[in-house]
Amino acid sequence: MAQTKTYDVIVVGAGHAGCEAAYATAKMGFRTLLLTLNFSNIAFMPCNPSVGGPGKGHLVREVDALGGLIGRVTDLTHLQMRSLNTQKGPAVRALRAQVDKRRYQEIMLSIMEKEPLISLRQGEIVDLQQSKGTAASWRLQLSTGIILEAPVVILAAGTFLRGTVHIGLTTFPSGPQGQHPSISLPEKLAEMGVRFRRFKTGTSARLRRRSLNFEAMKEQPGEETPHGFSFWIPWKPRLQASCWLTYTNERTHEIIRKNLHLAPMYCGAIKGVGTRYCPAIEGKVVNFPDRPRHQVFIEPESAGTDEVYVAGLSSSLPEEIQEEFIRTVPGLEKAEIVRPGYAIEYDVVAAEQLTPYLQLKEFPGFFCAGQINGTSGYEEAAAQGIMAGINAGLYLKGKKPFLPRRDEAYIGVLLDDLITKELDEPYRIMTSFAEFRLSLRQENADLRLAEYGYRYGLLSEAEYEHFLAKKERIQQIQTTLEKTAFDPRSAAGRKVTEQTGITLQQRISLAELLQKPEVSYKMLQEVYAELPPANDEARVVENQIKYQGYLAREAKMAERLRKMEEKQIPPGFDYNEVPNLSTAAREKLTRIAPLTLGQAGRISGVGPADLSALLIWLEARMKR
Amino acid sequence: MFEETIVAVATPPGEGGIGVIRISGPQAQAIGERILRHPSGKAITTWPERKVRLGVVLSSEQKIIDEAIFFFFRAPRSYTGEDVLEIQGHGGQKNLELILSAAMAAGARPAEPGEFTKRAFLNGRIDLAQAEAVIDLITAQTDLAHQAAQEQLSGRLSTYLRQCEERLLAVLAQIEAALDYPEDEIPDLDREEAGRTIHDVAEDLRTLAVQAEKGRILREAATVVLAGKPNVGKSSLLNRLLGEERAIVTPIPGTTRDFVAEISNLQGLPVRLVDTAGLRETSDPLEQEGVRRAWRWVERAELILVVLDAAAGLSAEEERLIEDVRGKKRMFIILNKSDLPPRLTVAGLPEKFSGLPVLTVSAFSGEGLEDLETKIREELVGKDFGRGHPVIVTSLRHKEALERAVRYLQNVTAGLRDGLSEDLLTIDLRAALEALGEITGRTVSDEVINAIFSRFCVGK
Ligand SMILES: Nc1nc2c(ncn2[C@@H]2O[C@H](COP(=O)(O)OP(=O)(O)OP(=O)(O)O)[C@@H](O)[C@H]2O)c(=O)[nH]1
Ligand SMILES: [Mg+2]
Repeated sequence: MAQTKTYDVIVVGAGHAGCEAAYATAKMGFRTLLLTLNFSNIAFMPCNPSVGGPGKGHLVREVDALGGLIGRVTDLTHLQMRSLNTQKGPAVRALRAQVDKRRYQEIMLSIMEKEPLISLRQGEIVDLQQSKGTAASWRLQLSTGIILEAPVVILAAGTFLRGTVHIGLTTFPSGPQGQHPSISLPEKLAEMGVRFRRFKTGTSARLRRRSLNFEAMKEQPGEETPHGFSFWIPWKPRLQASCWLTYTNERTHEIIRKNLHLAPMYCGAIKGVGTRYCPAIEGKVVNFPDRPRHQVFIEPESAGTDEVYVAGLSSSLPEEIQEEFIRTVPGLEKAEIVRPGYAIEYDVVAAEQLTPYLQLKEFPGFFCAGQINGTSGYEEAAAQGIMAGINAGLYLKGKKPFLPRRDEAYIGVLLDDLITKELDEPYRIMTSFAEFRLSLRQENADLRLAEYGYRYGLLSEAEYEHFLAKKERIQQIQTTLEKTAFDPRSAAGRKVTEQTGITLQQRISLAELLQKPEVSYKMLQEVYAELPPANDEARVVENQIKYQGYLAREAKMAERLRKMEEKQIPPGFDYNEVPNLSTAAREKLTRIAPLTLGQAGRISGVGPADLSALLIWLEARMKR
Repeated sequence: MFEETIVAVATPPGEGGIGVIRISGPQAQAIGERILRHPSGKAITTWPERKVRLGVVLSSEQKIIDEAIFFFFRAPRSYTGEDVLEIQGHGGQKNLELILSAAMAAGARPAEPGEFTKRAFLNGRIDLAQAEAVIDLITAQTDLAHQAAQEQLSGRLSTYLRQCEERLLAVLAQIEAALDYPEDEIPDLDREEAGRTIHDVAEDLRTLAVQAEKGRILREAATVVLAGKPNVGKSSLLNRLLGEERAIVTPIPGTTRDFVAEISNLQGLPVRLVDTAGLRETSDPLEQEGVRRAWRWVERAELILVVLDAAAGLSAEEERLIEDVRGKKRMFIILNKSDLPPRLTVAGLPEKFSGLPVLTVSAFSGEGLEDLETKIREELVGKDFGRGHPVIVTSLRHKEALERAVRYLQNVTAGLRDGLSEDLLTIDLRAALEALGEITGRTVSDEVINAIFSRFCVGK
């Protein structure tokens, strides 16, 4: 008899989704096994060594606000922090970090190891059964014969499922960066009835730092006063490392164009669908033939190695061609390739099988998170990981799933898009996807989500108290601004007038004064001693005051959305009953089976006429 | 879905030949059984579908009103998806009204405007866009309106709006690309140029919205009222403009006691012409009522033709009438009876009326009438209407959406000028595109992403 081990939750895959998921279920009190093909590769970053940016940075802040890990670990392991879009407005300001990949893995591993309810195991699944009648309903067998059982499985297998790597016309089964692919698991899942699609992604070559000539590139140093992601750990900036900027040129493009017949994306070798979001250099050259140059960033991979990442030159051309075109770039003339760039094709779970809280509709207790759901990026994976974890925990507790709305969080946007958009390429979050962009700012992520994190047990009492105290301070700033009158004749008032040229007849509060575009909180803080420094807390208040008109508009829109979200569509609803749906809408609604009328409306191909027909029908049905 | 059975005349009012009465709802057959008989007088007991049948229509007092052809359509294979009975009677207004009241006495209620189409839509027989276009088609009573309705159906409006959307998307995509890819090489937004683009689009949309007002006139027919003293020739003019002897004309002042309203086709434009009782002090109670009603029409009119008898001169009462109406309503002064020796000429009108449009006509000889038609048409919908502008919007819903889009775009131009940050600019820009999307059916979020990636080389 093979040995059987039982858990509450088994997380398959220890990448950015898997770690967050395991941590969440453990924090919710469930015995969790984190299972991975290779223990050395926990929380590995197979692509660029960077976390954050517009949209992505917002996700990091939100995961952190819920009590997740990506923000903390990034803070602890960053090599450089940058604030992006500082001049573009409050909604799109975002942090972006260069991280030390190796340290990131070490810290994440130590967090997993320290968590009492997390068990860790390396192993390859060769069989997967849904056992009936017992409490533990999923039964996994490892190649070593070990049997694992749990009522919940969270599949976070990244790009490993039937991974196929392409470099030029060379093709071989592989996970990312030379790791072992997962072959049996997808077969078992397919037998079970899970449907897959084939997606494609890629990465660029890694170079040896000492083979590069940095004189010929432009240095991009870190900031003087960098900021961190996490709301919960004290921010300690580390020594800021530099990145370097250089450019491709016509010669680079010429080489690429000449060798397109060797590019798997262009010669038909790759059938998986690639992304527009991180195009390979081949794609850029083909699609934008008029561009004389493209940016290339050299980014450090780790303080402990001499390996550097080449952002902007992702390619799956043969290795010698990669070397040839890389060497046309100023500063890279003598570049030595450590690892070649490649394209990878892999299986993703066709999204219509998922609920928005990431459970497979047909298989209770089976959740999927991360790149396996068709997203790209560490941040998107982490966000799904924590959501799958929380919802798996709620499932075990017999509670209602947790699903932030689109007006509450980028996480809500991501999950909603995932099931309503019918991805035809890997999904990368963008701020443009968020119709409530101004409400979903990075600095108010904790105000939006920390309550949930605490309620579900991911945030500790201490962290929650820290949060309540912060909320209190924010309220205090608001009150001070509202209560303090602006007196143009006072010393402080005169200073403000001097700086802004504002002259006022009637007395107004500082809050009202702050609504004027010429006035900033920082300016007021410098002359009014009672105001605390212009930090993130003050920024929350400043943004809320300055943009209250727009925020009110978003709130009104959100109200309308909420009403549509409240109109539930009964499970198993037969769309053939509804007359007057367009054929396309009927087909898509049947396939995707949205939970609410709101979701139905966001499915492309479902028009307003379909929606009103559906609404009328649902209402009529309710009356009957 | 609907309990009540509705009835209405399905052919536009005021047209000769045959008239169709349509009855729709669960009672349609029962009503037919009550009001229809075989020509022999026997009751009708079988109701085969879609068969042309001959019969007579009975009033509630069982008197024969009319001979008629009728069709029966069984649910759901009918226009509305319900049981439908169609009766084709002889065309006159009176006759159709008698059939209507017989149907009502038998249990139908009068349909609200567009109610058949609404039922057809709710029962899944047609989609919303079709429903709207059909409603417009029904009300389109003349060529031009018909053409506008057709254009909407065939997507000329969509094509035109598509171009507007494209111009807005170009600006939005540039902003969004830079916001989401701050480290890529996206050219800085040229605020002035973007402001010009947005302004131009807003102007185009506004023109379209203004045209929509005219589109409404097309659909609903503007009301043009003939008013004036008795015996100046109002009824004669009405008959001339209609091309038929609709109103009674006599040399006796006070001939017209009640108003006569009729839809007329003025060079392709549907116009409701109203002849009224001559305005004067009178002790006859019937005529008094007529005068009261005449004044009510004056209140409701979109254009008033104050008719004067050029052979008689201008009375103090008429002067007061003109004073009264001018400033409140658009009006023309019509000098009628130009075939007779003139007492009153354009030049002879008092100085104070010099700004008002004056036309000299003769209802008798027809002189000046074509000019009058042209002037009425131009006054209502403008000179180039139906020729110059590529598309005409006739739906109120569309007009409202256009106006909203224009307001949002005005916010954007102001924001661009005042240095509003780019993430905030997108809020109004998107709102404008969404308003247009309500007409064209396109989803902004998808369009923006496509526009970003087709225009800019972003991503590492
Ligand atoms: N010579 C001439 N006679 C006209 C002309 N127009 C109308 N008449 C005559 O004027 C008389 C009155 O015409 P109506 O059209 O009945 O005048 P009305 O303004 O409708 O009069 P009420 O209904 O009484 O208010 C009739 O005898 C017409 O034949 C015209 O242009 N020339
Ligand atoms: Mg008359």
